[in-house]
Amino acid sequence: MFLIFKRMWQVNWAEQWQYRANLFMYVLYWIVQPVIYIAVWTSIANAQGSVKGLSANDFVTYYMAMLIVDQVTSEIVVYNFAHKIQDGTLSGEIIRPIHPILTNALTNNIAFKALTTLVLLPVWVMLWLLYTPIFASTSWVNILLSIPTLIIGFFINFLLSSAIVCVAFWTQRVWALYRLYGIPVALFSGQFVPLQLMPKVIQDISVYLPFQLFKYFPTQLILGKLSGTQILQGYTMDIIWLFIAFVIFRWTWANGIKQFSAVGA
Amino acid sequence: MNFLRLISTFIKVNLQMSLAYRSEAVIEVLLDLTWLAWELLSLQIIFSNTVSLGGWGKGELIALLGVLMLVNTFLAMFIWPNTEKFNASIRDGSFDYVLLQPVNSMFLVTFSRITVWRIFDLLVSATLIIVGININGDVIAPLNIFIFILLAISGSLVIYSLWIVLIAFTFWFTKFDNNITILQALTDTGRYPATVYPWWLRVIVTFVIPIALATTIPVQALRGDLSTSQIFIFFGISFISLIIASQVWRVGVKRYSGASS
Amino acid sequence: MPSNSIVVENLSKTYQVPEREAGFSAAVQSFFKRKYKDIKAVHQVGFNIAQGEVVGFLGPNGAGKTTTLKMLSGLLHPTGGNATVLGFTPWQLKPEYLRAMTLVMGQRNRLAWDIPAADSFLLNQAIYRIPDDEYKQTFKELDDLLELAPLMKKPVRNLSLGERMKCEIAAGLLHRPKVLFLDEPTIGLDITGQVRIREFLREYNKRTGATILLTSHYMADVTALCERIIIIHQGSLKYDGGINDLSRKIAPFKLIGVRLADADSHDLSGYGTEVQNEEDADKRYIQVRAEDVTRVTSRMLADLPIHDITIADPPIEDVIEQAFNQ
Repeated sequence: MFLIFKRMWQVNWAEQWQYRANLFMYVLYWIVQPVIYIAVWTSIANAQGSVKGLSANDFVTYYMAMLIVDQVTSEIVVYNFAHKIQDGTLSGEIIRPIHPILTNALTNNIAFKALTTLVLLPVWVMLWLLYTPIFASTSWVNILLSIPTLIIGFFINFLLSSAIVCVAFWTQRVWALYRLYGIPVALFSGQFVPLQLMPKVIQDISVYLPFQLFKYFPTQLILGKLSGTQILQGYTMDIIWLFIAFVIFRWTWANGIKQFSAVGA
Repeated sequence: MNFLRLISTFIKVNLQMSLAYRSEAVIEVLLDLTWLAWELLSLQIIFSNTVSLGGWGKGELIALLGVLMLVNTFLAMFIWPNTEKFNASIRDGSFDYVLLQPVNSMFLVTFSRITVWRIFDLLVSATLIIVGININGDVIAPLNIFIFILLAISGSLVIYSLWIVLIAFTFWFTKFDNNITILQALTDTGRYPATVYPWWLRVIVTFVIPIALATTIPVQALRGDLSTSQIFIFFGISFISLIIASQVWRVGVKRYSGASS
Repeated sequence: MPSNSIVVENLSKTYQVPEREAGFSAAVQSFFKRKYKDIKAVHQVGFNIAQGEVVGFLGPNGAGKTTTLKMLSGLLHPTGGNATVLGFTPWQLKPEYLRAMTLVMGQRNRLAWDIPAADSFLLNQAIYRIPDDEYKQTFKELDDLLELAPLMKKPVRNLSLGERMKCEIAAGLLHRPKVLFLDEPTIGLDITGQVRIREFLREYNKRTGATILLTSHYMADVTALCERIIIIHQGSLKYDGGINDLSRKIAPFKLIGVRLADADSHDLSGYGTEVQNEEDADKRYIQVRAEDVTRVTSRMLADLPIHDITIADPPIEDVIEQAFNQ
């Protein structure tokens, strides 16, 4: 099993390395995204002293921590896998004795992350120099505590997205569905607007949804903003949703494969 | 007026194509509306904590969102589908046929794909602009509306010129499939007034990837923020960038046919 | 003698290709000082083609056929020499010129994939500014020859390769070009498809008096259509003349293919030169002079455990390779 992943890694890393020319574009994209939000919120916080108790520095540290969390937990499975189902090239992978998504697509995602991390580091340093943030309540304990939830968060996101990709077995409209998936993510994850600024009802619902588990929860954990009970609550939700995501994925995959072989694509 | 006749034929043909994907179009429109709801919600959240952002009120930001949607519609109607077609035609060699048609190749590359049903988004963005202005209670002089429209067009022409230059680079660097990622990366910056951004990002979105020229600046004209000389400078920029773009395109096509080597 | 529609003099195209050895230090070196190698794709080619002539343009892969066609249609600038087609210099890409010629490439699509060909035709009508009545007339003529009508309503992606090729060619002819450059117009088609296209081109030439220059992989295309052929090899003109003279000169070979019981154990060198042929891996092929075919075949049938035997013309490329490489 280990050997399979090692070989998979070699192939997928080589494939991702082909796209290194795009890295410059990522730099730009990654710098601009947080800067927009930092600029908007710090301009308000500076004008009024604070926004609902959040200072300008709080916003800077929030979006900078979020940048790292997003890097770890984001996935590209829909970009790399959906077309394989639609154009039928998946047949070649299905007949191999390993799971196409849980091995090949997974390592491809990780190789992508490894490559983009090369760019993320300088971007982060640049943001640091621009805003000189103070991570006052971040401790090593917080960072260590956040590592398991980051990994679980990635898998929840990866499995849910993979389940969406599996819908490609039935319809051509995966992209629309994936864009639709982006909406609850935007609403309940805290990626764009910190959840504590959201209307109360959205905050309440988001606790029970998976989306904040791979954005808001690890970010706040790193920033040292959570109490012991909140951390415990987050990890409980992590376990529950990891299980649910896995079941959903298993179900769509198994039925999708049936559909695929029935049509004979 | 052969160009107009050609464009109307292009529209007819593209309408045919999108009819093959009707349900796609309906889904896209619904998704756009859902995303719009999210954008409005985030504006609502911002303005529940402040009365102004960089000197702009809520209504003005809604109007700005409308203008950004206008720009995005323009991109989605012409730029994105034609980029896809252009890149494919370079890959499979059918770009040869484009050059051999007795019509200006830049014209063909610009208009051969038109996502016609996006017109619906134009209505939505117009509504946003009108509603936004009304929320703010601004009284707008008819002249400012006229200048606003002209500036929005000239700003879009600047983005268009940049696009032509970006895809023309393909003639020099054959592996340049991600030629427009930079445009996509920066359209998001149009959501908020450029005056909020740190100076370096403001410089980028005004001069390097001039999203602000098509978003912030027209709305500034609507507010009456711009002086006459500024307005003429912006017209001048769009005129010059169009000339530069068509020259780069010409040289690129020559390069493609080996005229320079 | 009618006037020449195509005049080519000393036409040359040299590509400069950056040369780089493998390895890191070579990469660094080439960054500072690039070495270029000249590749002569076409070298001082010259010929004239009269109006109304149908000429076959032959040569092995990479001989410079497509490069020459691209220069004549205006897609490529030559690095030397000159050419005029219908009095125009092609690479100036004058609209009047583009409206008078057409280039059809068998491996490239001009028709939009998702819509019926009829709509792409209308687009071409607008692009080439063809008046309605003239368009109807031309379409009717093309329909007579190619039976297009039943294909027009279906999206192009639902057409078979042969049907699509008919539409591609028709799309290239709507503006009634006086000169046709056809690059592999029958490639990938089955035998009936090839015959249909061939017959169409012959009839079209007879009716309109258009000049046709075509390249093809299939000898049969050329023998059926062209009285004159031009052969180009390694960028240079090797032959320009009647097809009958040529076949006497270079095609006196036939290819005998046999399927044997225990294929590898027999020595075929006594019958002729054994050649590689990828088309049918089970078979072995030998090449013999045309006049020896009957004799060799009967000898083989007598001597060897043969399951199946075929006799065919060798592929055009091999013939030319053989004739001009010596």
